[in-house]
Amino acid sequence: MDITVNGDTRVVEFEPDTPLLWVIRDELNLKGTKFGCGKGLCGACTVHLNGVAIRSCVTPVSAVSGQNITTIEGIGTIEEPHPLQKSWVNLNVPQCGYCQSGQLMSASALLAQNTRPSDDDIDQAMSGNICRCGTYPRIRAAIHEAANNTEKS
Amino acid sequence: MKQLTILRRANQAGNIMIKQIIETGTSRRQFLKASVTAGGGFSLGVLLPGCATFADKSISENGDWRANAWLEITADSNIIFTLDRVEMGQGTSTGLTTLLAEELDVPPKDIRVKFAPVDSAYRNPDYGLQMTGGSNSISSSWGQIRNAGASAREMLLLAASQVFKGPLSQCQARDGKVTNLVSGKTLMYGELAAIAALQTVPSNPKLKSPSEFRYIGKQNKRLDIEGKVFGTTEYGIDTEVPGMVYAVVSRSPVIGGKVKQFDARDALQIKGVIDVFEMHSGVAVVAERYWQARKAQLLVNIEWDEGDLAELSSEKMFSVFKQKAEDDEGDSVRNEGDFDHAQEESSRTLEVEYFTPFLAHATMEPMNCVVHVNASEAEVWAPTQAPDLARIAVARVTDLSPSDVKVHGTAIGGGFGRRITQDFVEETAEISYHTNRIIKLIWSREEDTQNDWYRPATYHKFKATFNDTGSVTGWHHHIVAPNLFDWFIRDAAPAQYPWSPKFTYGILGSVGLAMQGIAVPDDVTATEGAVSVPYKIANLEVRHTHADVGVPISFWRSVGHSQNAFYVESFVDELAHETGTDPFEFRRNLLSDHPQHKKILELVAEKADWGGSLPKGVFRGIAVHKSFKTYAAQVVELSIENGQINVLRVVCAVDCGTVVNPDIVKAQIEGGIIFALTAALYGEISVKDGRIQQSNFHDYQLLRINETPKIEVHILASNEAPSGIGEPGVPPLAPAVANAVFAATGKRLRSLPLKL
Repeated sequence: MDITVNGDTRVVEFEPDTPLLWVIRDELNLKGTKFGCGKGLCGACTVHLNGVAIRSCVTPVSAVSGQNITTIEGIGTIEEPHPLQKSWVNLNVPQCGYCQSGQLMSASALLAQNTRPSDDDIDQAMSGNICRCGTYPRIRAAIHEAANNTEKS
Repeated sequence: MKQLTILRRANQAGNIMIKQIIETGTSRRQFLKASVTAGGGFSLGVLLPGCATFADKSISENGDWRANAWLEITADSNIIFTLDRVEMGQGTSTGLTTLLAEELDVPPKDIRVKFAPVDSAYRNPDYGLQMTGGSNSISSSWGQIRNAGASAREMLLLAASQVFKGPLSQCQARDGKVTNLVSGKTLMYGELAAIAALQTVPSNPKLKSPSEFRYIGKQNKRLDIEGKVFGTTEYGIDTEVPGMVYAVVSRSPVIGGKVKQFDARDALQIKGVIDVFEMHSGVAVVAERYWQARKAQLLVNIEWDEGDLAELSSEKMFSVFKQKAEDDEGDSVRNEGDFDHAQEESSRTLEVEYFTPFLAHATMEPMNCVVHVNASEAEVWAPTQAPDLARIAVARVTDLSPSDVKVHGTAIGGGFGRRITQDFVEETAEISYHTNRIIKLIWSREEDTQNDWYRPATYHKFKATFNDTGSVTGWHHHIVAPNLFDWFIRDAAPAQYPWSPKFTYGILGSVGLAMQGIAVPDDVTATEGAVSVPYKIANLEVRHTHADVGVPISFWRSVGHSQNAFYVESFVDELAHETGTDPFEFRRNLLSDHPQHKKILELVAEKADWGGSLPKGVFRGIAVHKSFKTYAAQVVELSIENGQINVLRVVCAVDCGTVVNPDIVKAQIEGGIIFALTAALYGEISVKDGRIQQSNFHDYQLLRINETPKIEVHILASNEAPSGIGEPGVPPLAPAVANAVFAATGKRLRSLPLKL
């Protein structure tokens, strides 16, 4: 089947019930998307499907054929970071860092729809993403900072 | 008997070594070695002390030592710092690099940090344990790393004065260059490296005074952040080795159960499946791809021998603990005055019982490992806190010796003590050995939750006595809890005696460590934080009764402190209430012997406006606790809504000595508070029919962003040596919440998690 990730279309041969997560990680070798719970409960595996945040650990690869998937590797680079990646660096958000790809994917889907999210909007969009290190206060501050910077520019 | 003699001698030798370190500690020259590298650079080997929990045996009897950290300056001015600590989010790599940068006079971002692999090249029969834990990386290495940086700088300056042919006083080191202040000429450190390496290592390099610091206390940027934001940091689970295949393991649903028989016929029909076989911890399924292994695993039919714990439940465990408290008064771990006498003289007593459940670590990155075992050696890629113990784990299940095992460290997706235990490495090694394949093992979240080595469940009894005027005259604290080291020594003992034959591994723990020599100190994990209760009470006794029901236990962020602070700071709050005193004033009045506790308690009270007015329906609680040489006090504000505890604000004051990186200190306290709030409100691993009842984040809940309170961190300014910061934010939180719940409801919650 065809799978389009970060603009590249690839033909992959996988059992159709294989979760998208393992195809992204093990076949496409995009390791930024993480395995956390396998049940859509923690958000570590969050990617965008046509711009909407989904949990790749519970999404069968057969369900996304021909659609646009974006991973952490597709939203920004060191040379051209996403505004959220800039604010994440600026506010020293990560500790162990394992959940942060998922956090950034949920946050970037939020900002794409809502350029000026309130604290309640952030709670709504981000409460599906667990961080065991407890970086939540900084995640909240970094989303506000990125929204402010984007608005100014 | 021969074994015993060898171990005894090792212990005695160890004792001597420790003395040497103390006696020669001021002669810094002995712990630095300079050399010229093959590429014309400068290399300085540094000896950092071992983990505080364990004896440092890095110096052999004849005074030889092996460096365990290396500063290298290449001819083209790359500065590389290799060290044997692991980074799991706590900021150690940034902190240690900042210390070096300060004295070496280079911006921290210009230093590349590398983590040393553990392999035979680093082998030393006198090695202590290579382990990261106990919040001691900065405090234990603070002096040595600064000395190393200062020594290197002085050697570079000497080299420059030779090249410039001018006096040393005209040379100034700054930002990776040495400038001749008269001629204005500059040389990069790399250009001076080869000559610097020929200088004598200074015996007493001059360290900067705090007023000269450019980075210590000011450096705020984390140095490991970009990979974590762009998704390029490589964690253990991201390891790729050509030819690697995947494994999963079915383990007994009952703790300690064994495979009786299994039928893999259906599983072997699944596409990609390579092998299904019985191993020490269950049945392994190996396949070309991870999902193939998972699908096949569901088809393996296993009959289990459930073993001795098939009847165990949390209720039974606590009744065993209670009975134990009645039958066995245990060991006295602190005894001042005469509690029995105080009781006879008292006009009133208060007697209460407390308990806390097992807790899982729940790191976001589940346990995983890659191992390649071949005929003569093994390679391991593992997110581990203790590479030395990983080597033992591999040796145990193969025909290799620990010295044949090379361990590659990886980034770690959360540790919190879980990755001190090497069960996941042992499993992967056994599967690789059995199949002759390179194996990547990944645990599911359910497997991770149900096969953890948990924070122990414990049961505590308190009794206080009061005199005629209502003052507290006696404090009696009886702890019923297991010893973590009973479980830990299985791997730790052979790692400390790597020359010992493998057949002795099983007895090394009980033989070597029971002698309480230098290898492992007394196990204080059950009593730490309870034995050190700081309040001045004339008749005070703390006792410990050992009780272990056979559920695997291990270190969990802040270890014994994490629950003993809950017990002590809740009970002292009860006493404040009993005596009709404000909880802050009550504590302060009893802290005359502990001025640092008092100072941090006063600071938090001031910052949180203790006693000031609060919105209707909002209530406060307070707690103070010292752990890992750091003092932390917290005030919690909360409301009760529909019977739910709603924590709104946490104010924390902390005294951790000199602060190397203020923002990382703040982040560690924020994270510690959130970690502790999860435990206080939700944390419970329960047992029924010998089975762990929780499995994933729906029934082992972790705090989420919408439940996170406002957190304020106030750091006490200090010029003392740095103390721990990764763990001390955890202990005061649970009692501060419980005390606020009491203020709100009049209900004293004496068990965790807190439920109304």
